[in-house]
Amino acid sequence: MNEKRVILVIEDEHTISNFICRALSANDYKPIPAFAGKEGLSLYFSHGPDLVLLDLGLPDMDGIEVLQELSGLPQETPVIIISARDRESEKVKALDMGADDYIVKPFGVPELLARIRTTLRRADRLKLSRGSQKDIYHIKDLTVDIAKHQVLLDGEEIHFTQNEFKILELLCIHAGKVLTYDFIQEHVWGPYGSSSNQILRVNMANIRRKLKENPSEPKYVLTELGIGYRMLED
Amino acid sequence: MSCNPLIRLYRGYLRVTRFLPPVPRNLFTTLLFLCAAYLVSDTLIGHTGAENNSALVFVLSVMFISLLTNGYFYGLIASLVGAFCINYFFMFPYRAFSLSYSGYPVAMVSMTLISGVVCALTSRVKLQAVEAMKREQDTKALYELNAKLNEEKAAIQLEAARETIRGNILRAVSHDLRTPLTAISGAASVLLSSEEIAQSGKNLSLVQDIKSDADALIAMVENLLSITKIRDGTMPLNKQEEMLEEVAGDALLTIRRRFPDFPIALNLSEDILYLPMEPMLIKQVIVNLLENAIRHSGDREHIQLHLFRQDDWAVVEVRDRGRGISPEVSRAVQSGRQLTDNLSGDSSRGMGIGLSVCQSIIKAHDGFFAAGNDPEGGAVFRFGLPMEEIKDE
Repeated sequence: MNEKRVILVIEDEHTISNFICRALSANDYKPIPAFAGKEGLSLYFSHGPDLVLLDLGLPDMDGIEVLQELSGLPQETPVIIISARDRESEKVKALDMGADDYIVKPFGVPELLARIRTTLRRADRLKLSRGSQKDIYHIKDLTVDIAKHQVLLDGEEIHFTQNEFKILELLCIHAGKVLTYDFIQEHVWGPYGSSSNQILRVNMANIRRKLKENPSEPKYVLTELGIGYRMLED
Repeated sequence: MSCNPLIRLYRGYLRVTRFLPPVPRNLFTTLLFLCAAYLVSDTLIGHTGAENNSALVFVLSVMFISLLTNGYFYGLIASLVGAFCINYFFMFPYRAFSLSYSGYPVAMVSMTLISGVVCALTSRVKLQAVEAMKREQDTKALYELNAKLNEEKAAIQLEAARETIRGNILRAVSHDLRTPLTAISGAASVLLSSEEIAQSGKNLSLVQDIKSDADALIAMVENLLSITKIRDGTMPLNKQEEMLEEVAGDALLTIRRRFPDFPIALNLSEDILYLPMEPMLIKQVIVNLLENAIRHSGDREHIQLHLFRQDDWAVVEVRDRGRGISPEVSRAVQSGRQLTDNLSGDSSRGMGIGLSVCQSIIKAHDGFFAAGNDPEGGAVFRFGLPMEEIKDE
C-alpha cells in the first residue's frame, strides 16, 4: 500500500484548489486539480481516483449534476462535497444523493484532512468486507454487539431501549459517515414514521446521556447541525 | 363656492348669533324679521298710503327667515303670520281681521302660498349651497390625505429598496470574502505545517499572524452574513425544531477549535429543550457570547455555559469570573439599542458587533437578552427563546 492515493479536486477557485493540492501532496496524497465540471469528469475517467473533492458551485455545470454522474458508476468512488452555500437543504440533498461527506467553506486544513482520512478508511473497509456486515463493533471504549443486542461501555453493560439500540446500530454500521435525519428515521421507524423528527432527537439525547458524552468533546456521536448525526470512528 | 353671497350671509349671521342655542336663535330670527317687516310696512303705509307694498316686504322677510333658520318650519310659520299681519294691520279695515271684502281670501291664500314657495326655494338653495361647500371641503381633505399617504408610501418604498440593496451588497461582499479568506487561512496553515517555515522562528510568527487574522476575519464575515439574513427582513427565519444542547455542543466545538486553551464548562439540565429556531443563527449567538467572555472578561478558567428551562423559555447563560461589564453595556443589551455605535471607541474591539448580532438574532426569534454582573464577581449574559412558536406570527 505504498502507492499514493489519488484525489481528484474539482474546484473552480484557483486559490482554494491551490492550497488544497499543496496540503494533499504534503500529506502523501496525489492531487489532481480540475477547474470545471466536464474537465473533472474526464479526469475522473482517465485517472480513476480513490476519492473526489467536489465543489458545488462550478462554472459550467451544477456540482449536483457531477455528483449524479459519479454516483451512478460501479467504481463507487467516495465523494466529499465542498460547499460555500450555507443552505442545509443543499448539503442534505448531496448526502442523500450518495455523497459521503461534506465540508463547508470556510474550512481549515486539519478539518479537511481528517474528513479525507475518515472517508478513505471507510471506503477501504467497505471494499474488504464486500457488503457482509460485522456482528460486533468496537469504537473506543464502546462495544456494540449486534447479535447479542448488547452494549458495553468500559466493559459495563448499558441498557438501551429497542429504538435507541436500532439508532446506535445504524450509526455503527455507517461509522464515519453523516447520516441525515430522514435516513435514520426511515431505517428505524420505517417509511411511514412521523414526519417530525422529535422522537429521533429525544432518543439521541438519551443515547448521549447514557454514553456519558461531553458535548464539547464528543467521543462517539457527532451532531451535524441541521443535517444529522455521525458516529466517530475508532 | 365659499364666495356665494347667500352662504356668506348665512355664515356671518351664525357667527354673530353663535351665543344662542339653535331653537331660541331660530325663534329670535323669525320674530326679528317679522317685526322689521311690520315696521317697514307701517312706515311705507304712513308715507305713501298704498297697501300693496306690505305684501312684498313680508315676502322678503320670509325669504330672509328661511335663509337664516334651520329647515322649512320657521319660514312657513312666518308666511302664515305674515299673511295674518297684512290682513290685520295693513288692509282696510285697519286693526281688525276681515275676510268679507271681495278678493281678500284670495289675496290671503295667494300671499301664504307665495311666501311658502319662496321659503321652500330659499331653503333648498341654501341646503344645496351648504352641501356643495361641504363636498368641496371633503374632496379637499381627501386629496390632501391622499397626497400625504402617497408621500409616506414612497418614502417607505425607498427605505425598503435601500435596505434591500444594502443587504444584497453586504451579503455579496461577505460571500465573496469567504472564498479568498478560506484560501488565505488554508495557505497559511499549509505553510505552518511545512518544515522550512517551522524551523525559521521569524517567518513562523508571521505566518501564524496571517492565519489568526484570516481566521478572525472569517469569524467576522460569518457575523455579517448572519446579520444580513435578518436585517433586510425580506427573508423570513428558516426555523426548524432543534435540540438546544446539540446547537450548544456544536458552538462549543467551534470555539474549542479556535481557542484550544480555554476550557469551558457546560452545564445541562435534565429538561429536553426541543424548540423552533434557525440553528446556525442560534449557534452564532452562543459562539459570540463565548468569544466575548474569552476575549473581554480576562478570565481563562471559569467560563461556563448553562442551558436550562424557565417557565416557557429555553434559557442559555454564559458566565465568567472576570472583570464584569460596565453599566452601559448591560443597559444597551437590555434596551435593545444599537450596540455598535456606543462601544466602537472602547478598547473592546469587536465586542459591539458580536453583541449586536446576538441582539438582532434573538429579537428575530422573539426571545429576550439580558446582561449583568454577578454579585460574586464576573459577567452574566443570558438569553431565552420561547419553547413554542408564537402562533399569530
